[in-house]
Amino acid sequence: MRSRVSCAALIAVVLACDAGLHPTTACPGICGTVTFRGAVPDSTQAVYVVAYHTFPHSRDSLFTFQPPVTSLQGLPLDGAPAFYALPVDAGRYEWVLAVWVKQGFTLATADSTLREAGYYRDPADTSQPGVLTVDTSRPDSIDFMIDFGQMHPPCRYYDPPCP
Amino acid sequence: MKRLLIVTLVAAVPHRTAGAQGTAVVYGSVADTVGQPLRGVVRVVGSGFTSVADARGRYRLAVPPGRVTLRVSHIGFGPVVDTVTVAAGDSLEHDYRLRASALELQPTIVTAAKHSQLLDQAVTSVALVSDTDLARRAVSTVDEAVNLAPGVLFLNGQVNVRGSSGFVEGLGSRVLLLVDGIPANQGDRGGIDWDMVPLADVERVEIVKGAGSSLYGSAALGGVVNLITRDIPVGFHGRVRGTAGVYADPPADVWTFRDYTGALGGLDGTASYGTERLRGSLTLGGRHSDGYREQDRSDQWETSGKGEWRLRPDTRLTASGAWTSHQYEVFPTWCVPNACDTRGEAFQPFRIDPSGRGSYTRSSKGYVAATLDRTASPTFVWQARGSWLRTHFTDVNPDDQSVSNRLGAEVRGVLRPFGDDDRVVTAGVEGARTDVTSDIFGDHTQGEFAAYGEAEGRLGRLRLSVGTRLDYLGVDAAGRSVVVSPRIGAVVPTAAGRWRASVGRGFRAPTLAERFVTTRAFGFDVIPNPDLDPETAWSFEVGDALSLGSRGRLDAALFWTEARRLLEPTFVLVPPDSVPKIQIRNLSRAELRGLDASLTVLPVPALTATVAYLFLDSRDLATGSVLSFRPKHLLTLGADYRWRALSVGGDFRYTSRIERIELEAVFGRDPRVAAKVLDVRAGWQHGPLSARLLVANALNYIYNLVPRTLEPVRTFSVVLTWTY
Repeated sequence: MRSRVSCAALIAVVLACDAGLHPTTACPGICGTVTFRGAVPDSTQAVYVVAYHTFPHSRDSLFTFQPPVTSLQGLPLDGAPAFYALPVDAGRYEWVLAVWVKQGFTLATADSTLREAGYYRDPADTSQPGVLTVDTSRPDSIDFMIDFGQMHPPCRYYDPPCP
Repeated sequence: MKRLLIVTLVAAVPHRTAGAQGTAVVYGSVADTVGQPLRGVVRVVGSGFTSVADARGRYRLAVPPGRVTLRVSHIGFGPVVDTVTVAAGDSLEHDYRLRASALELQPTIVTAAKHSQLLDQAVTSVALVSDTDLARRAVSTVDEAVNLAPGVLFLNGQVNVRGSSGFVEGLGSRVLLLVDGIPANQGDRGGIDWDMVPLADVERVEIVKGAGSSLYGSAALGGVVNLITRDIPVGFHGRVRGTAGVYADPPADVWTFRDYTGALGGLDGTASYGTERLRGSLTLGGRHSDGYREQDRSDQWETSGKGEWRLRPDTRLTASGAWTSHQYEVFPTWCVPNACDTRGEAFQPFRIDPSGRGSYTRSSKGYVAATLDRTASPTFVWQARGSWLRTHFTDVNPDDQSVSNRLGAEVRGVLRPFGDDDRVVTAGVEGARTDVTSDIFGDHTQGEFAAYGEAEGRLGRLRLSVGTRLDYLGVDAAGRSVVVSPRIGAVVPTAAGRWRASVGRGFRAPTLAERFVTTRAFGFDVIPNPDLDPETAWSFEVGDALSLGSRGRLDAALFWTEARRLLEPTFVLVPPDSVPKIQIRNLSRAELRGLDASLTVLPVPALTATVAYLFLDSRDLATGSVLSFRPKHLLTLGADYRWRALSVGGDFRYTSRIERIELEAVFGRDPRVAAKVLDVRAGWQHGPLSARLLVANALNYIYNLVPRTLEPVRTFSVVLTWTY
């Protein structure tokens, strides 16, 4: 009988060894942490992180990013590293970047009121953007830096680039 | 010298009274099986005559002449129930030997039928939490003590007996709380303040399962929890209890919410003095907790008192009361993305949604009651009581307040035509008036009047019980309703145990809060509904209690409850508004059925093991879906081993994952897991001193039962008790 009681106690302990709730990353697609360098320009309207399936080589493909504009959430700009989460579809993404938006932005003035402020880089060649594949596994450490002193207009990446 | 004087006084008092005409005396000793004296409690069942043995184990107890049932108990030992007959002016010597045990295997007396009866005579299931259970578990609050009883589950403070209540934020409990038989649910919201009575005052808890409205009226839809407070023994007695403990830090760094370790502590003391004619006790206590999560601090002060005046040997007047002031921060819901910075997590169970920052509640509650018991003849006893229950809460963020008063009275008689338990008739009338003054419930009054009667008798081997209760309810001079709650039950002893069966009706009148609430919740207006009807239920039960001799006891019951017109919040459109509002309505029909079983065994005298299991199948009969907040499986394992002055033990509780919750659209994607909680404990006792170590949720299992509300983490506490 003692051994049965011991067995029951052991079963109870084993059952309880499943730790219940555990930390779960809130990553609906692509997630990571951005760090900041430089002072936030006074003319800043917002800074967003977006992702492109295909690198935008022309003005026509500038607004093909994900998530949709209606789902964009601005990053906190208090200087502290910030977690971001992009609810994006499964697939291949060639460019994950932070977009600085100037006050007074309109679609017509996009080239002058938008800036690339930093992007996720290929770990093997940090001069190149990193390419991601989102499927059942959600990339959750897509970390990069936003440098307000090194921002570039989108046309820099057009083919051909602007002067 | 002072101690000698006290002992002399205590010894002298019974002698002086014992010679009085109309009383008799039982005296003797209480010891364990090897002859070591015990300071056991010797009590006349159902009368309040009590004596505590001295350090040599000697006791002397004045009793009413005639046939009396004595119960002899001591913490850590199985009690003994004995019946003796002693003539007026005579004395009788009886010595008692108690066996070390955490389990009561002797016949147990319960008051489920509004009179003292053996547990095996009860026609419905009754679960007991004895003083031994309370002591060995080293719990600090009444709800902690009740929580591990078979078939009972607490959901964020709301008690469920066989899945009766679900979870409705404390509103409208479908379980009735009694304190020494006095209804104690809140007058405004109908919930239960488990902190109203200090645990130090509670001797045992009886949990009557199933509909109990045939005797107890409204709110006894799913069960009745009766707190039995301690009798006051003759002589000076005292008890001081100190508790200190710490909460475990969050198990993951990303969940860290403070830079120190949370602590808890408390101190309470009880002093009593009694003679054969007059007795009184006073309890004072306080507790503080830092809480185990953000915004979770609480402070509590409590006091209670009890006095007894034995006007004549057959007449006793008891006055009792308690008052608790509780200030506690409110943990609204845990933090989720877009509501706060979750540090990249899908949820932060230890941190709050900032919209609830600063929420706290000041809550005061208490009662006073007076009860007159009289044994008019060997065949008839009656009782009259009056009570006043008051609750007052003030919420900050959101700002609400309410004061309620409930004045109640009851007169009851118990007739035993042949002076024994073969025929028992219980009848009484009861009334109550409740008033509420509140900014969200309005100013209202409710009157309740009831008459009830129940007859028990033996028909051959069968013990039959038939009774009914008629309740009249009136609200604000309107909204009257009448409810009839019959019950019939039977118990029959067989070679395969003592079988019981019962059918009874239960009901719950809408609370004043449910009728008249005007507030906002989840961004919607909540509007009143004064026309609510009582919700009702029929409960059926078949059970068997099988004694395994000195080796244990098995109790199993199949139950089935069909509830109608259950009160539930629902969205309604009130023209010309196009925005839905929330209103409580009589909506659903539901069915709850299942198996409630418990097994207690003593494989060796010093070892006690228990297994309790509840299988619950609950359905909304309108939609066919599972009822919300009703887990299907509830398993409790327990074991305690005692070796001389040392004891060790533990409990394990498994609660299956809750399949359905309210507001699935809002909370449905939140993680939910089964609950697997292990408590371990150790104790040491030496004379008047005892020390107990308790590690609750020892494996630090992180879980929730209601949406976005973390259940307690591992808590390490030490309880030191000195008893005089």
